Amino acid sequence: MTDHVLKVEDLSVSFPQSGGRARILHNVDFALERGTVLGIVGESGSGKSTAALAVLGLLDNGGSIDSGRVVIDGEDLYAKSAEERRQLRGGKISIVFQDPFTTLNPAIRVGRQIAEPLVMHRGMTEAEARAETLRLLKEVGIPDPERMAASYPHQLSGGMKQRALIASALACDPDVLILDEPTTALDVTIEAQILDLLDSLRITRSLSMLFISHNLGVVSRICDEICVLYAGRVVEYGKSASILTEPRHPYTKGLLASLPKMSRERHRLQPIPGRLPDVRKPLSGCVFAPRCHFAEPRCQTTPPAITPIGEDVAAACWRASELARTPWRIESSETIPRRVDAGDGKPIVVARDVERTFEAGGAMDGISFSLDGWVPRVSFGRKVVRAVDKVSLTIHEGEIVGLVGESGSGKTTLGRCLIDLISPTSGEVAIDGAQLLNASRSEKRDLLKRAQIIFQNPDSSLNPRKSIGETLERPLELVGLGREERQRRVAELLDLVRLDASYAERYPHQMSGGEKQRVGIARALSTNPRFIVCDEAVSALDVSVQASILNLLLDLREQFKLAYLFITHDLSVVSYIADRICVMRNGTIVEVGSTEAIIDRPQHPYTKALLAAVPKVPELRANLDR
Amino acid sequence: MAEAAANSRPQHRRAPLPASLIWGGVLLTVILALAIAGPSLSPYDLDALQLDMRLMPPSAVHWLGTDEFGRDVLSRVLNGAQSSLLMGFGATAVSLLFGVPLGLVAGYYRGWADEAIMRAVDVMISLPPIILGLLILSVTSPSLWKTVLAVGFVYIPIITRLTRGITLEVASEEYIQAARARVEGGWYILFHEILPNAWPPIIVESALRVTFAMLLAAALSFLGLGVQPPASDWGLMIAEARPFINSAPWIACSAGAALCVTVIAINLVGDGLREALDPRLARRR
Amino acid sequence: MAGYVLKRLLSIALTMAVMSVLIFWITQVMPGNVAYMILGDFASPQDVATLEAKLGLNDPAYVQYLRWATGLLQGDLGRSLVMDRPIAPVLWDAVGKSAILAGISIGLVALLGISLGVYAGVRHGRISDHIVSVATYINIAIPEFLWAIVIVMLFAGYLNWFPATGYSDLSSGFASWARHLILPVFTLVTGLIAHISRLTRSSMIDTMQTQYVRAARARGLPEKLVIRRHALPNALLPTITILAIDVGIMMGGIVVVETIFSYPGLGRLLMFAIQNMDVPLLQACMMVITFVYAAANLIADLLYAFLNPKVRYGRSSSE
Repeated sequence: MTDHVLKVEDLSVSFPQSGGRARILHNVDFALERGTVLGIVGESGSGKSTAALAVLGLLDNGGSIDSGRVVIDGEDLYAKSAEERRQLRGGKISIVFQDPFTTLNPAIRVGRQIAEPLVMHRGMTEAEARAETLRLLKEVGIPDPERMAASYPHQLSGGMKQRALIASALACDPDVLILDEPTTALDVTIEAQILDLLDSLRITRSLSMLFISHNLGVVSRICDEICVLYAGRVVEYGKSASILTEPRHPYTKGLLASLPKMSRERHRLQPIPGRLPDVRKPLSGCVFAPRCHFAEPRCQTTPPAITPIGEDVAAACWRASELARTPWRIESSETIPRRVDAGDGKPIVVARDVERTFEAGGAMDGISFSLDGWVPRVSFGRKVVRAVDKVSLTIHEGEIVGLVGESGSGKTTLGRCLIDLISPTSGEVAIDGAQLLNASRSEKRDLLKRAQIIFQNPDSSLNPRKSIGETLERPLELVGLGREERQRRVAELLDLVRLDASYAERYPHQMSGGEKQRVGIARALSTNPRFIVCDEAVSALDVSVQASILNLLLDLREQFKLAYLFITHDLSVVSYIADRICVMRNGTIVEVGSTEAIIDRPQHPYTKALLAAVPKVPELRANLDR
Repeated sequence: MAEAAANSRPQHRRAPLPASLIWGGVLLTVILALAIAGPSLSPYDLDALQLDMRLMPPSAVHWLGTDEFGRDVLSRVLNGAQSSLLMGFGATAVSLLFGVPLGLVAGYYRGWADEAIMRAVDVMISLPPIILGLLILSVTSPSLWKTVLAVGFVYIPIITRLTRGITLEVASEEYIQAARARVEGGWYILFHEILPNAWPPIIVESALRVTFAMLLAAALSFLGLGVQPPASDWGLMIAEARPFINSAPWIACSAGAALCVTVIAINLVGDGLREALDPRLARRR
Repeated sequence: MAGYVLKRLLSIALTMAVMSVLIFWITQVMPGNVAYMILGDFASPQDVATLEAKLGLNDPAYVQYLRWATGLLQGDLGRSLVMDRPIAPVLWDAVGKSAILAGISIGLVALLGISLGVYAGVRHGRISDHIVSVATYINIAIPEFLWAIVIVMLFAGYLNWFPATGYSDLSSGFASWARHLILPVFTLVTGLIAHISRLTRSSMIDTMQTQYVRAARARGLPEKLVIRRHALPNALLPTITILAIDVGIMMGGIVVVETIFSYPGLGRLLMFAIQNMDVPLLQACMMVITFVYAAANLIADLLYAFLNPKVRYGRSSSE
């Protein structure tokens, strides 16, 4: 008999939405065994965060439990009064939220916030709580607990804040610790440290954890079991190692096939077509059927129940058993060779000694006052931040250069300097042999026809007041194309990014994130550029959508011999797409090399640290891989 | 929840118009119609003195009674609509005309232009609105158009600040970066990229600004620095009726009620617009 | 923190200096011939000459300004033309009387407005919430001067509970003093209470939806403690700034209210100066109002900075 510290049975949750209620969780079942880690995995819209809040009894914004039970340590949470539920929170069950920057109260010292559950649930006095707080802070690896406890949140870094929040969640030795995307807001090296910490805590404290994440690498690293959610339903559930190496449900197969992996060889990614179903529409049949290329007639009519397949996995799919060994494949998965001939290609962008400094604050901030005893002192001059520090970089025709770095490394600033969106403080940038920085406006416009940019955030990169047609026509208008020609070209561009011509009539709010990103790519392509800066171009997208955009970018490169500067914080993505990788830190490029060289033989200690920090997904079983 | 909603298929149908917009719109239309038709509707000549009919209470002959000169109150209230609406909308137009471009420039170009504009704004708001209005009007002979200009001027800094704040927000959007990446001129970016996205909150604010302007103008007229007798203006009428407030309350009450109803109508429209155009702001109220 | 205080002081001094130029320019330079403006278009040339000499109007504008500004800095507010005596004693007496009116009012506004707002914010979506909304509408729709007249009509005219006008010194009895203050204070505070409670309410609602409030609930704190410890301090911070804005609104209101209630304060003195074209008195009143408003803003800014750890402690090196 297994000892389940947490059991969720048949849980359905809905939220009010214009014209009725939208069901976010549908009859969800999972159970957490004592001393183990259960991962709840899903893309955005899967309902995984709602599941966490429901387990805590903290549904807000009008959310309500329509059916089911949450059983913690044998006690039914929703059979209790609100007051009893409150006493469980922070005591028997506690949570670490995603964003440490907003989770700490800015007006209260960190130590006092951590101590709250101690006073509340363990009845400690202020002094006892203080001593215990310092001990907890030490346990989560904070070098100077005294100073930490006396600090206000804004004085700490994100990683430190997340450690403090973990300490607070551990304060009352909870039976269940929920972690809701605990490392998503953090840099990869900090993420690795936090995961190490959680790893050691689960051993020293024999913690039971519910680990919610969209990141399969992180999940595979820490979880014993995995529960895959899709559109509010459990589609696959079982042992982590088994699911990740031998997925049974088509959705899980697709998810894994969409994931770029760090490897020398590059296979074409296999994305999942389509998008999430509308939560407001009633559904007959399997929820994944519209996107599934294994779907049969019965999948459209009757929803499959979750049934065990083999010993340690259960899946909600009619064909799970027969497809057990079949990989997700909708496109050919030939290998795509990397360019190693960078040397003889013609250079498109040449940047020499590019430097960019920022002065902090407004003009008045340049004057600062201080008191020397009672004598006021005035000093002038602003704090100068060197975002990019004498960087030289050459990008050749048809080459994809990856630029990786953590937040604050200056990678975005460098990318924008190359197309003069941010003017460098000093240095030279030449595009196709012509100097960009001191060019007149008309020359600049001429040069920038050949260099364009794709942005990170699909919601922000299109003007919401303009139709897609208008957005795509404007650059063409600037080049002097006539009306008919423009419209023909817009249809052509939409076709290039695999969108229907009717999208020209649409507005951004009528499109999904992936579609908007395609329009962003089409806009960048409109003037036939030779070089495109991709600034975190796939970072805001779900894995399945990201894969199709990466494929598209690679296809376009082949078709037009485009060169990309691919800026990202994601090493897996960059090692997948790039021919050459530059590693950036504190405004300088610390290492450059072919992708192969960087992955296999990193030289710089920082590169090594970055590579070591990336959580990896295990390889699929051999017979599934090809 | 939010993440699910963001991912679900977008809806093409439009949300129904908010009730406040409909009610406010109907009310305002009636008031505007009365203001335009006022002179021809009014039963009596505006300035016809009937010294034997002074301070008569409402009756079948004079529906809203007469004032201290025996003038028909209903006629004067009907005619007062024009001057009130003119001052409210006129003054708001003045502050938009200056405030919006200033705010756009300050918010988009930043740097010294921003610094200069915002310091000027700081100076202008270092006097409370009514007092600034008094200061501007104190040394000139009062008239309607001067009041409009003064009230408009008083509210320039508020529009500037609002526009600047929205511009800062919009300018950080990536589509503005995209426009710069194709080397668009400043004029195009300000008026074709930023302004269309800045309009909704500005329109909502302007609707509320009209009522503030109307009330400020009425207060200035009440204090004797706005519209001058014998013009029919609600603020002025209330001032003139003040000595007779206990013996003839109908004069001040009629003019006051007209002012209140107009203000409420415009406010309803403003709130309705806020709900329809800027749901994010509406929730915060 | 000390640097911040000095910086704010400097910026306020700068604003005051620019405002003084503006006030002087509008009242004395811009009208062209001030003497004719004061005396009327049909004044005799002798009278005009006398007045020009008296005001030093024949000097260049900047000399006039410097003379006036140096006087101000030395505490010399000049002489009133109409009353023909030094402005200072008259002005300070009026300021004192207005301060009583404003002090009581702002105290009531802060106390009642903020508590009402917090209450409505916590009980979001219930009856108290609607009361605040309706009160806001009434406040927006009824201008102060109309409200004052209605109040006079009701409480002084028909009910005859309180005197309609005037001021009674505290030396002539507390009851009489208070009775004279009730109606003006009532007029002043109603609108402002609606104003600040609406803003406090929305600030409270926003704060209750923050992630750190959710985190406090997840730690199992009782709702009362969540509100008191986590929500209130953050929600009340912005109300400090709103209170400063309300001081400004109130100073406008005081002009109207003092005029209607014949209350011998700064607002009435200002209207007296405007109606009688007493330019030196007008300038002095304007400067005092600018100064008081600037001081209110300064206090609010400093209080805000002091209560906000982000400003108070700045960023540490542990980033």
